[in-house]
Amino acid sequence: MKQDTPRLLYKILITTTVAVVFFLIAGLLGISIGSSGRTLFAVFEWLAGKGGHDPMLQTIVWEIRLPRVLLAALVGASLSMGGLVFQALLRNPLAEPYILGISGGAAIGAIIGILLGLARFPGVTFTAFVGSCATLALLLIMTSGGTILRKDSLLLSGVMVNAFCSALIMFLVSITQDARLHNIIFWLMGDMGMVGMGQVGMLAGILLPCFLLFFLLSNTLNLMVMGKETALAMGINVQVMNIVLLVTTSVMISASVSYSGLIGFVGLVMPHLLRLSLGPDHRVLVPACVFGGAGYMVLCDLLARALPRQGEMPAGVITALIGAPLFIYLLKKAK
Amino acid sequence: MKNQPRIFLTALIVMVVPLLALSLSTGAAAAGEKVTDLLGREMTVVENPQRIVALAPSITEIVYALGQEARLVGVTQYSDYPEAAAQLPKVGSYVHLDLERIVSLQPDLCIGVKDGNPKDVVDRLDDLQVPVFVVNPRDLQSVMQTLTAIGGLLQVRDRADAIVSGMQSRIEAVERAVSTSEKRPSVFFQIGVSPIVSVGTHTFINELIVKAGGRNLAAGEVAYPRYSREQVLGMAPDVIVITSMARHAVFEQVLAEWKQWPHIPAVRDGRIFMQDSNLFDRPTPRLVDGLELLAGMIHPELFEEGS
Repeated sequence: MKQDTPRLLYKILITTTVAVVFFLIAGLLGISIGSSGRTLFAVFEWLAGKGGHDPMLQTIVWEIRLPRVLLAALVGASLSMGGLVFQALLRNPLAEPYILGISGGAAIGAIIGILLGLARFPGVTFTAFVGSCATLALLLIMTSGGTILRKDSLLLSGVMVNAFCSALIMFLVSITQDARLHNIIFWLMGDMGMVGMGQVGMLAGILLPCFLLFFLLSNTLNLMVMGKETALAMGINVQVMNIVLLVTTSVMISASVSYSGLIGFVGLVMPHLLRLSLGPDHRVLVPACVFGGAGYMVLCDLLARALPRQGEMPAGVITALIGAPLFIYLLKKAK
Repeated sequence: MKNQPRIFLTALIVMVVPLLALSLSTGAAAAGEKVTDLLGREMTVVENPQRIVALAPSITEIVYALGQEARLVGVTQYSDYPEAAAQLPKVGSYVHLDLERIVSLQPDLCIGVKDGNPKDVVDRLDDLQVPVFVVNPRDLQSVMQTLTAIGGLLQVRDRADAIVSGMQSRIEAVERAVSTSEKRPSVFFQIGVSPIVSVGTHTFINELIVKAGGRNLAAGEVAYPRYSREQVLGMAPDVIVITSMARHAVFEQVLAEWKQWPHIPAVRDGRIFMQDSNLFDRPTPRLVDGLELLAGMIHPELFEEGS
């Protein structure tokens, strides 16, 4: 195993570089296209230092498009990571924060926060965290008969928790009648256009340490995928690791959801796609998933605002339209 | 040599250090006067602003009413009155504003409404140094205040005052006429067809119904209560007013539905009306048109003789 280390490092380096390049291209496209009709060309010219100084274009690129691109990137990265971790822990490619109801729980918390008139940060983020922890606890209680985290029953319980959360969200939306209704609906569908750089910075402050922690624990994830007995034999405290990983994921998901609303299937597509092409080693998958998920979400958000002739559609529509069929196809092919 | 640091900087910021871009904010605040909007927010606006974005259809109408449409550089979707307004550049709908479009129009002033424009957007525009003068029309009185405030801001105070006093005298005329009658017919004001939705006490429409000498059957704390058909039958309204975004086909259908129940006084007496919803729920000078129409529908005996 020792002599594999340079090869592994090399593989991590290559895949991460590819993922970073993908993300950078997506990011460049993201800051180059927008509703004011500035073309790709003008922005490239301007980035290259030609074409004079246009303060309006500068404001639009740096203060409107860039925060949005970075928010989409952070959300995409954390949702993809959430999917990757859940899939590893449950050893099931169907696991994903949205499907397990963790996103839904966070959304209920966030809606309550919005209805209470709290600020996006820390208020709504905190209520979202409480919501996601509640659904997580519910999941754990429902599946805690005998062994911890029996994978099939956990997934099934997750689907049920998600259905329950959807009903609660519908209830909260139906009792809201004033202007907040619009806010909630646009937010719920994944509206990322209204954040400033400060908020993106705060979100990054929460999420980047989570990503780092997952990278440090990626070998542990590898062992846990092999099963509880193997992991125990390799000296891993499975119970503690499960809790650490689940709570960190929950923090990550609730922080993202409180800014972006409910965006589904991102946690399915990227991890599954990467696992099919890169193999099952999480030391390779974690960094690839962070940047790949970031780039994927940036592109989805770009499509969401570039496709409609007037206005924009929710990013969640795009991710679901791409994610669900692609996933069904991959699943069928894998069998 | 010039290109490389640029590209490197871009890559760095896009990749890891979002906070860095905070320092790139545009400075250079233009000199102007300090104004306080109707929510008490203070801001600096250039004197006599010439590039205005109206963040709601009602604001567009008010700017037109003041004769200052030449200064409008952007309006929202559904800004359809007067017709010419529909040709102006759009910045999204008033509940879902397109920040980038607004900034690209380089406005020196945005005028927004408290109910509808999301606070997030107003805050973001503030950050981007685009002043947003927020008005808060809740009833006829505050609509007139709004007109005066916007008139003052655009330095057409005289015109605003003239419009306001015209509105006032027309409102008083209706109130005077209505006060001669003891009758207060019950009104069911239907703003939603399926489900049936009416309007509670804290709405423009309730105020208009009361001023026009009617009784709002849906008065109550809930702003936009839903009703079942059974409930409406039970209330036996004297007058039914239907406003709908959808046009005639839908109205005919709704009318046919109510006509199945001839024991409703409104059906029996043929007092079911369809009206343009914009006259009743947009806080503009046209609310007075809505008031006069409504008074004519509720008290035909008082108003028909004059015309």
